[in-house]
Amino acid sequence: MVDVSSTVMDLPRRDARDKLRGRTRYTNDRARPDTLHAVLLRSTVPAGRITRLDVSAALECPGVHAIVTGADAPGLHGIGIADHPLFATDTIRYHGEPIACIAAETEAEAKAALAAIVLDVEPLNPVLTMAEALAPGAPLIHEDWRAYEVLTEGGARDGNIAWEAKSVRGDVDAAFARSDVTIVESSIAVGRQSHVPFEPRVAIGSWENGRAHIETSTQVPWTVRNVTGRVLQLPPGRVRVTVPPVGGGFGLKFDATIEPITALLARMTGRSVILENSRQEEMATCLCRENAEIRIRSAVTAEGEIVGREAVVLMDCGAYGGEQVFLTTMTSHTLGGSYRLGAVRLVSRAVYTNTPPNGAFRACNGVYNSFALERHTDEICAAIGMDPIEFRKRNVLGNGDLGPTGQVFEGDVLGPMLERMDTLRANTGTLEHAADGRLYGRATALGTWFIFVGPSAATINLNADGSATLVTSGVEIGSGTMMQSLPQIVAGQLGLHPDQIVVREADTDAAGLDAGIGGGRTTVSIGAASVGAAAEVREKLLRTAGEMLQTAPKDLVLRDGRVEISGRPGSGAAISTVVAHAQATTGPISGTGSFTAKNTPAMAGCAMGHFIDALDIPVFVVHEAEVAVDPDTGHVDVLAYRVVQDVGRALNPRAIMGQIQGGVVQGLGYALHEEVTITGDGRIAQDGFETYRVPLAQDVVPVVADLYEGAPSMGPLGTKGAGEVPILAVGSAIACAVSNAIGKPVYRLPLTPPRVLRLIHDIEPRPDYPHIAPNWTDNTLR
Amino acid sequence: MFDSMERSLTVAGSIEEALAAKHRGAAVLAGGTWLMRDPRRGVNLPDVLVSLHALPALFTVEIEKDQVVIGASVTHAGLARQLAGLNGFDAVVAAANGAANPAIRRVATVGGNLCTFDFAAADLLPVFLAMNAVVELRSIGERQVLPIAEFLANRRVFLRDSILTSVILRRDVIASAHARLPLRRAGDYPVAIVSAVRGHDGRVRIAVGSVEDVARRWISLEAVLAIEPASVSADPERMRALAAQCVDFRGRDGIEADGWYRCQVLPTLVRRAIASLSAKESVQ
Amino acid sequence: MTVTLRINGSACRFHGDPMTPLVDVLRRERFLTGTKAVCREGFCGACTVEVDGEAVMSCLRPIGLLDGATVKSIEALAPGDTALHPLQAAFEAADVVQCGMCFPGMVMSLAPFLRENPDAGRNEIKAAMVGNICRCTGYERIVDAVMNFLDSQKMEQANG
Ligand SMILES: Cc1cc2nc3c(=O)[nH]c(=O)nc-3n(C[C@@H](O)[C@@H](O)[C@H](O)COP(=O)(O)OP(=O)(O)OC[C@H]3O[C@@H](n4cnc5c(N)ncnc54)[C@H](O)[C@@H]3O)c2cc1C
Ligand code: FES
Ligand code: FES
Repeated sequence: MVDVSSTVMDLPRRDARDKLRGRTRYTNDRARPDTLHAVLLRSTVPAGRITRLDVSAALECPGVHAIVTGADAPGLHGIGIADHPLFATDTIRYHGEPIACIAAETEAEAKAALAAIVLDVEPLNPVLTMAEALAPGAPLIHEDWRAYEVLTEGGARDGNIAWEAKSVRGDVDAAFARSDVTIVESSIAVGRQSHVPFEPRVAIGSWENGRAHIETSTQVPWTVRNVTGRVLQLPPGRVRVTVPPVGGGFGLKFDATIEPITALLARMTGRSVILENSRQEEMATCLCRENAEIRIRSAVTAEGEIVGREAVVLMDCGAYGGEQVFLTTMTSHTLGGSYRLGAVRLVSRAVYTNTPPNGAFRACNGVYNSFALERHTDEICAAIGMDPIEFRKRNVLGNGDLGPTGQVFEGDVLGPMLERMDTLRANTGTLEHAADGRLYGRATALGTWFIFVGPSAATINLNADGSATLVTSGVEIGSGTMMQSLPQIVAGQLGLHPDQIVVREADTDAAGLDAGIGGGRTTVSIGAASVGAAAEVREKLLRTAGEMLQTAPKDLVLRDGRVEISGRPGSGAAISTVVAHAQATTGPISGTGSFTAKNTPAMAGCAMGHFIDALDIPVFVVHEAEVAVDPDTGHVDVLAYRVVQDVGRALNPRAIMGQIQGGVVQGLGYALHEEVTITGDGRIAQDGFETYRVPLAQDVVPVVADLYEGAPSMGPLGTKGAGEVPILAVGSAIACAVSNAIGKPVYRLPLTPPRVLRLIHDIEPRPDYPHIAPNWTDNTLR
Repeated sequence: MFDSMERSLTVAGSIEEALAAKHRGAAVLAGGTWLMRDPRRGVNLPDVLVSLHALPALFTVEIEKDQVVIGASVTHAGLARQLAGLNGFDAVVAAANGAANPAIRRVATVGGNLCTFDFAAADLLPVFLAMNAVVELRSIGERQVLPIAEFLANRRVFLRDSILTSVILRRDVIASAHARLPLRRAGDYPVAIVSAVRGHDGRVRIAVGSVEDVARRWISLEAVLAIEPASVSADPERMRALAAQCVDFRGRDGIEADGWYRCQVLPTLVRRAIASLSAKESVQ
Repeated sequence: MTVTLRINGSACRFHGDPMTPLVDVLRRERFLTGTKAVCREGFCGACTVEVDGEAVMSCLRPIGLLDGATVKSIEALAPGDTALHPLQAAFEAADVVQCGMCFPGMVMSLAPFLRENPDAGRNEIKAAMVGNICRCTGYERIVDAVMNFLDSQKMEQANG
């Protein structure tokens, strides 16, 4: 454990000025006059067979330099299984799937040439819903699924089931058979959520000295490097990825998508090529938070003990497996987490459909699994007649309790956080009077998520002017981590001011492997690697200083840019002097550090097909919403919103508050406004800002938050990531509050005015899942 | 975007020049807030356009003794500013101020709002209908003045050769109100609109927008009102109940809301409109 | 069509499609990339610039209507090494910027509004922001910073 006393808190962001002046150059600001513009030919059917693709006429169009198709990029990529080609070659699997890409002098010329591509497609009957995909005899979306390369072993797969993960602990049948239990069952459905980062996915490729160089708006430079290598069948080392400031990611940019295409076109043309999704393309092919269908059942005693629980979660991965394959894992930890359970079994299936592929979005399936869990918990409370907050206090996981996969949880966190919510509510008061004749509801909801750890690397070079350069593959996506936490952490370790820490933009040629910016991992993983690098730098610095000052290194401290003799402020030498000395004697001072998951153990045999058996760093939230519902129009007005969030340690309380406000508001969008529906021809209907409604300033309220510090964390200085989880329990808190307000169960999000009015009029259909078997085991493979 | 380098835009220096261009097939470009999004709707931009923005006469709002004449090029912001505080015109101000967002209101014109065929949610239409507005159309050598309802019934035909030059509203109104229902607090197209106007004869006229493809007067409700005692039309709750019996609209299904919802909220919007109408009358 | 206009103080001549949106002239011809084209539909405000003193959305302004117009984009608000505009400074001080892509438009739309409405309250500010979407911040802290800016302006006026 390192000391935080020397760490500067609440650091302002160094990138704010340029951003405010419009000077920051995001990737899509970097097209130069000599950059070629690329445009994609996309499929206009959700399923089909390509019978002819002829680009020769298009190649002759004015301004056109090159055209790439699937023939140029034969490799498949994916998570868990390699099922995803860069372009549809024989088979079209979703509306909007790339088929070819044209690079021309101008965007207009590239677009004009699209019309000259000859494409014949034999349309096939699309499989648009998970019910259709799981129906007996359903057409296979991937006919060759058996032949795909398996990248991670362990998941069960079958036909349209891309991946299945399950966890089983204890005797669930026996628990449900007990005579003293009430059995409660809930069915829940959610639609997709689109990220809407202000900068769409965009990349600029160039070919330099026989290697690809891709500048891109991504959260995962190393994934882009590796995927590009795979699909182009190049050694990944022949790909360099650099990342300018990113105009928002929220998980959308946690996968490689269009980047390899720019590298291909650059190789063919010898020019730089920019490919940027239009807003319409961006939204029509967004790797959304997936739509999902959940059935959950619990056996609960009259005293409120949950003796058994089982659930089936179907996640629509769209045409390709992608992130959903990984996320099947997280069902256990979220739906099966938070509460102490007797016996439990959970199965989670990523299901292929002929719809645009889904992906990762801030707290991913945790958001809707929490919604399902908390609505279910409220239904349990109603069934056994117990106060919902009391029930939660009795049942939340505490020190030594077992998680769904048999992981032993450390520390009492959720319990005290619920108490803190009581205090917060007492301090702020409630706003029932503001409902002003409308239906009023309040609800408290909680949730468990995790910090995604995994590999990170850092190098620190100490310079002769007393500054230090931090080199990592970290990307600034807007959350401020690279601008605030990392310079703070490094400066604190080296006795420097954060301003003296130069943070290098991510470059896979300069820094080591990194799992990417997401899952709240930056502060923790890159932070820990940076602490490691700083330790090496420190050690070298003190050794040199020790020689210079004729003092044992253990008696030296780093403070205010100086190496001082302990207890004698102002003594010793400036760090710059020591560095200069080292450069002349032993060589420049640098250090490296690295980090990865610690692989917390689970109980043997509990988790099957999981990418993570146990959570290294769990994170908890407690949320509370107060709403007023207009019974005549179904409009939900959020009156007040309160959050208690487990942050480990808050280095930048002000920045964390900013993340909480922003994350809660995205959650309000998910809960109330943002709807994605799939049309009969497999398109996302809401492909622009007119129809996809994100919250506007008048739709939000100031979130009041209490940061809960002190929960165990392996993160540097005891930190946990704070940016991802604020969205976790918003859907649940709002849904439970609306349900309380209207006195009817809520089974579906978002709660748009038409949906709420249908609920009030009892004409909103309940989710009905004929494709989920009543017997849990029948919903599993093997 | 640069899909046609030959595209031509005539900035008309006189109304005659504009009419001649229109006659030759040019599309009218007003604020462009609708037209510029044609490509997004999968429609090619017109190749030949004529703009009215250099014709100052079309930018004026003339408040005369018994009528108000609004030029076609007046923006939503301009309309709201110039009619603010004018007795009986609250609904027009509310419609002009409630539509879109501030930056759009600074450029989107009255003419554009009235002349967009495929736009069901236009805010000004129901107000103008309830105000019994007349519109002035000009074509070469001809000037035509007709009730807005008649214009709306046949917009495509009228606008084939004509340009809408102004909207004329009589001042024989006591009060008016505009109740629009967006899905968020604001910033959306309204899913349903009710405009209510009380004329000097004491009668309330009601028009509905965004529910069907084109806004129209709520004839059946007005007919029921005609046989009720006058006090009913000032009672929001009773008006709501009456409206609920008269919903004879075929609500359009859209991505944002279905027809059922649009019809279902109409009585509530009537209640809101009447409540604000009565509030204004009691102030006067 | 040829259009002559002033952009950030310099005379510019555009030759081409009159329906080219102003934002593309700014970004592609003048390399003024501070103006962002995010939705190109008038909903998000990221492309807001001042045309003849009024804040408008440059994605929906056809260049053909701008002959003789004066355009000011975010780059001209605090050019070169000059101090930030006080509203920009207020945003910086309150640490509200996240990805930052909405802020040039946010500043260009709020600065004229606040100039004309120095007594605006929270609700009016939020209403003025209805055409400025921010996907990152959740708005409230932007509004806090605007309130701070107005307060400090009032203080300055009272003192000077
Ligand atoms: C973000 C956003 C939000 C919006 N929200 C709303 C809303 O809430 N409520 C609402 O009502 N509208 C809304 N609109 C729609 C808005 O574009 C129109 O209402 C606007 O009034 C159109 O005016 P314009 O001057 O921009 O028309 P233009 O785009 O220039 O023209 C529109 C059509 O009208 C024709 N036309 C224009 N003037 C004339 C004329 N004088 N004679 C003949 N034909 C003519 C044009 O040829 C064209 O076909 C919104 C638009 C945007 C971009
Ligand atoms: S880009 Fe102009 S309003 Fe969104
Ligand atoms: S800061 Fe990212 S959109 Fe506003």
